[in-house]
Amino acid sequence: MDTFPATLLALAITAPILVGLILLAGRDLPRSFASGFAFGGFAIPAVLGPWLLILWSNPSTAPQQFQSEGFWGFGFALNGLGAPLLAMTSLVGLAAGIKALTQEVEGRNTYLGLILFMLGGTLGVFGTNHLVGFYFFHEFALIPTFILTLFWGGEGRRPAAMQMAIYLTAGAMASLAGILIAVDASGVEYGAATFESVAHGLQAAKSIPAATGALVLFGLGTLASLFPFHSWAAPGYSAAPTPVSMLHAGALKKFGLYGIILLGLSSLDITGGSLGTWFLWFALANVLLVGLICLTQRDLKQLISWSSVAHMGPIFLGIWVCGVSGKADGLDAAAFLMVAHGLSCAALFLLANAVRARAGTYRLDELGGLATRTPILAALFIAATMASIGLPGFGNFWGEVGVFLALRAQPLWLQALVASTVVISAVYALRAVAATFFGPASEALEKRFASAPFGDLGWAERFAVFLLLGASLTIGFVPSLVTKSVNPVVAGITTFSQHNAKAPVKAAPAAPAKR
Amino acid sequence: MPSDLSSLVHWILFLPLGAAVLSALFLRRAGGLAAWLSTGVAFAIAGLSLKLLTSATADVTWHVELAKFGGVSLGFGYLIDANARLMLFVVSFVAAWIHLFSVGYMKEDSARGRFFAGLSIFMFSILGIVVADNLLMTFIYWELVGFSSYMLIAHYFDKDYAAAASKKAFIVNRVGDLGFILGIAMCLSLYGTLDFAALKDHAAAAKTIPVAVGALLMCGFLGKSAQFPLHVWLTDAMAGPTPVSALIHAATMVAAGVYFMARVSFLLAPQVLDFIAISGAGMAALAGLCALAQTDIKKSLAYSTLAHLGIMGCAIGLGHPELALMHMAMHAFFKATLFLGAGSVIHGCHHEQDMLKMGGLLKKMPLTAATFIAATLSNCAVPFLAGWYSKDAIIEAAYHGDHIAIFAFLSLAALATCLYSGRMIRLVFLGEANSEEASHAHESPWTMTLPLVVLGLVYSVAGGFLAHTIIPAGSLKPIEHALGEVAFHLAAPSTIVGLLSLVIGFFGALKFYGTVRGADALQVVSPRTYHLLEHRWMDGLYRWYVDSVQRRVSEFIAFLDLLIINGVAVRWIGGGVPAVLGYLTGRSFHRGQTRAYALWIVLGSLFLAWFLIAR
Repeated sequence: MDTFPATLLALAITAPILVGLILLAGRDLPRSFASGFAFGGFAIPAVLGPWLLILWSNPSTAPQQFQSEGFWGFGFALNGLGAPLLAMTSLVGLAAGIKALTQEVEGRNTYLGLILFMLGGTLGVFGTNHLVGFYFFHEFALIPTFILTLFWGGEGRRPAAMQMAIYLTAGAMASLAGILIAVDASGVEYGAATFESVAHGLQAAKSIPAATGALVLFGLGTLASLFPFHSWAAPGYSAAPTPVSMLHAGALKKFGLYGIILLGLSSLDITGGSLGTWFLWFALANVLLVGLICLTQRDLKQLISWSSVAHMGPIFLGIWVCGVSGKADGLDAAAFLMVAHGLSCAALFLLANAVRARAGTYRLDELGGLATRTPILAALFIAATMASIGLPGFGNFWGEVGVFLALRAQPLWLQALVASTVVISAVYALRAVAATFFGPASEALEKRFASAPFGDLGWAERFAVFLLLGASLTIGFVPSLVTKSVNPVVAGITTFSQHNAKAPVKAAPAAPAKR
Repeated sequence: MPSDLSSLVHWILFLPLGAAVLSALFLRRAGGLAAWLSTGVAFAIAGLSLKLLTSATADVTWHVELAKFGGVSLGFGYLIDANARLMLFVVSFVAAWIHLFSVGYMKEDSARGRFFAGLSIFMFSILGIVVADNLLMTFIYWELVGFSSYMLIAHYFDKDYAAAASKKAFIVNRVGDLGFILGIAMCLSLYGTLDFAALKDHAAAAKTIPVAVGALLMCGFLGKSAQFPLHVWLTDAMAGPTPVSALIHAATMVAAGVYFMARVSFLLAPQVLDFIAISGAGMAALAGLCALAQTDIKKSLAYSTLAHLGIMGCAIGLGHPELALMHMAMHAFFKATLFLGAGSVIHGCHHEQDMLKMGGLLKKMPLTAATFIAATLSNCAVPFLAGWYSKDAIIEAAYHGDHIAIFAFLSLAALATCLYSGRMIRLVFLGEANSEEASHAHESPWTMTLPLVVLGLVYSVAGGFLAHTIIPAGSLKPIEHALGEVAFHLAAPSTIVGLLSLVIGFFGALKFYGTVRGADALQVVSPRTYHLLEHRWMDGLYRWYVDSVQRRVSEFIAFLDLLIINGVAVRWIGGGVPAVLGYLTGRSFHRGQTRAYALWIVLGSLFLAWFLIAR
């Protein structure tokens, strides 16, 4: 067995964590040294992540999963769904790292170290096959998220961090309970509890406790901001420092979706029965109600945060329709959107912060006419906005349209409600663009410019945005980069859900027997 | 050799994309270079399209699969039939001259790099619509056309009206696209494919086509071709630079909807066709009359475009997509000339767009005037000019098919055309100068007048040449057949109606609008009629919807979210957890709240991890 890719994977995950440890330990390390070191910690995964994705899609290496021992017994391994998410995370991580390196903060080394922890944990989530490891890495990333928001966040950081901590802890507890019950029901030893073995065990299991699916769906759903468990998300992202918002909304949040797909959809009947109905309505609420809430936002960062919640709707619906129809296209599209959304969302957070750095505010009614002063910032912001509202050429388009098409066998009203997102998102996104960049420059902005002239987007930030949007364009033009690795995993899951749909023996007979 | 020709198509499609990327990334400050790069590419693709038009004898097809979502293939490819070859040629030829015009028109502009990058990305998108071999790719280019239009309308982004107009154009188009994508999903669901060729086979095999398929696909057409009730964006779109109005909002983009409807005409059920025919005819008459109540020369021309798009839609509805395409081609030539002429006038009058402040320009701008008048006469369907062949053929088709109501509407549209054309000529070129700017008007440079001469004099006038040579080269059989089918000739009822309209309308308007100076004669004579035509009723309706319905509903939902989900769940249920924890841990939790909380999470997680591993 070729161990080279497995080494790369282990290196990608451990490098940021080790660098983070050094920075945390060496709080007094000289600035330039710490910066170089931290940059290495961000850059190594960004090189390895895409490389691993390409290796993964390569037929000669594809059957292997790049397994290695990893930490504490739960090994690293990469599956076809994790590979593109890991690649996306690594790029978002580098962009967030560059942003963090350009910031002037107190306790800089600790700040950078914690962000590196967050990155390492998130990479670990997608780079392990083991359920316990999967959960552990998420917690490992989440704790620095709270701390970073609490100490380095912006306006309203305390209540936001508290609310986020409560929600996410509750969600994590519920999903942990679900995971434990599922593992128990599957009859697999904890040491061997990988996604595949648990799924196999559950498929063979005589009975699965009725609440397992709900715990997994709503527990993990909370972490992925499924309506109505979304209240933490927008204030949480908004209050967090920008690199943290980028990593959390872009990459870490996908943990919940990843778990819902690999555990819930593949072996617990989360789209059947009344649970499935709730899932559908909640996901629709993500698209519609949260979409409408976006229309009322008056603050650029809040808007981006809310829209990031709204964009989860199509992903949930893609997962739902896959479970209902037993067809792969919805899940393929949802997975694609998970990757693409991470890129566009991170770019938007970064650029919004650049707007604030210049105009001194996120408030849309105080902004205006910035494009005359900062044409490149404006152009990139428009590009990122277009990516997020699914303009063809960017990856998000394939995901969104793929979900719409996957819903084709559903009633027309349902399709119309879901597809209405193309209008709603265009309304709020273009309104924000116009309010921020177009029109004559606002008085406040002109005064600010006169007192402290600001320049266009700096080179470091430009590079970070080019990286993210470039990646989005790349998968937009060559979608097979993602689908090649995602398709086989999804096909495996649908084989099961088809089997499930034909013979709904699992939970259904157990429930009436209890009554 | 089809394979050679498909490589020709690669060049046609990707040259402008390359030019756009180059300009956007590297030529932001080198506006002149960007202008000539973009223009050079436009002429190159015009040449390649002409080669394709003359050398292709059969459909050119090429296909590759980009990826798969489950069983759904995401394919990229070309299907270039006779209609596509014609459309390619018309679009690229008109576009090339408009590019040249832009070189002169935008000379003083500080953002030429962005402007020409926008034109090139537009070229890529529109040519993509023409060559695409499946619905999904069409939708992709369709969206990109919407994006390029957005960017170009927003060219003067520091003006509030341009910011608003760009946003409006994009959003209204997306409303249409919402229906379009649902239609695509329905095709996939019903027929299992999105390829035009396969869809055509399925449609031929099926006894009936569900009405919903055509109705949903039609939504895209309503948006892009600015048909009622989604027409509201087009007049605002005139906020963009005039060459953009000429290229995108008169000659090509809005015609893409017509082209698309012709391309999927086999998917349109009779009910859908009837709707398009009737609404198109109504649109033609109404928009033509509305053009009489605009003093901005570009807005008046925009209404004229709406009217002609209605006529094209009507032709499709009547079951004559070939006639619609022919009118699309003819209209592209003369309307581009009219818009460029308007641009030249605006340029000459130092950016004055109000027709009431113009006048007497015939002597000061003779070349512009001559070409503008020629194109106007073509617009009025004077026999043997370009517009006559196509427009009157469509009116004749309505008469011939016993659609008397449609014939009546179209006749009214013909009269309205002559009225606003006469008014325009009278106000702009005849009489005396009505402002300082107009009295100091000057003729435009050669880069602007040459395109006018080529497009206007050669093509608008030489309608016979167009109708009998260039256009049939793309689709000889269908048009000869279509013209024969409606028994179109000089003594046909449509021509008689046309000639009557010309005499009454055109010459009547010339006289009528000469009676009042510095004001609109109709407004003076009948202010109510003028207001009725000027007022934008649908805009009012939409504004009411946005302000009174959409905003209130969304604010109400946001309030509920805050009150119920956030308020109750977090403050009561969620807030209970830290309260209990705080009670248990005594004051330490309160004093170092944040640190303690972080510590709690760390401890809890470590405990969990230990618990899991120890088991």
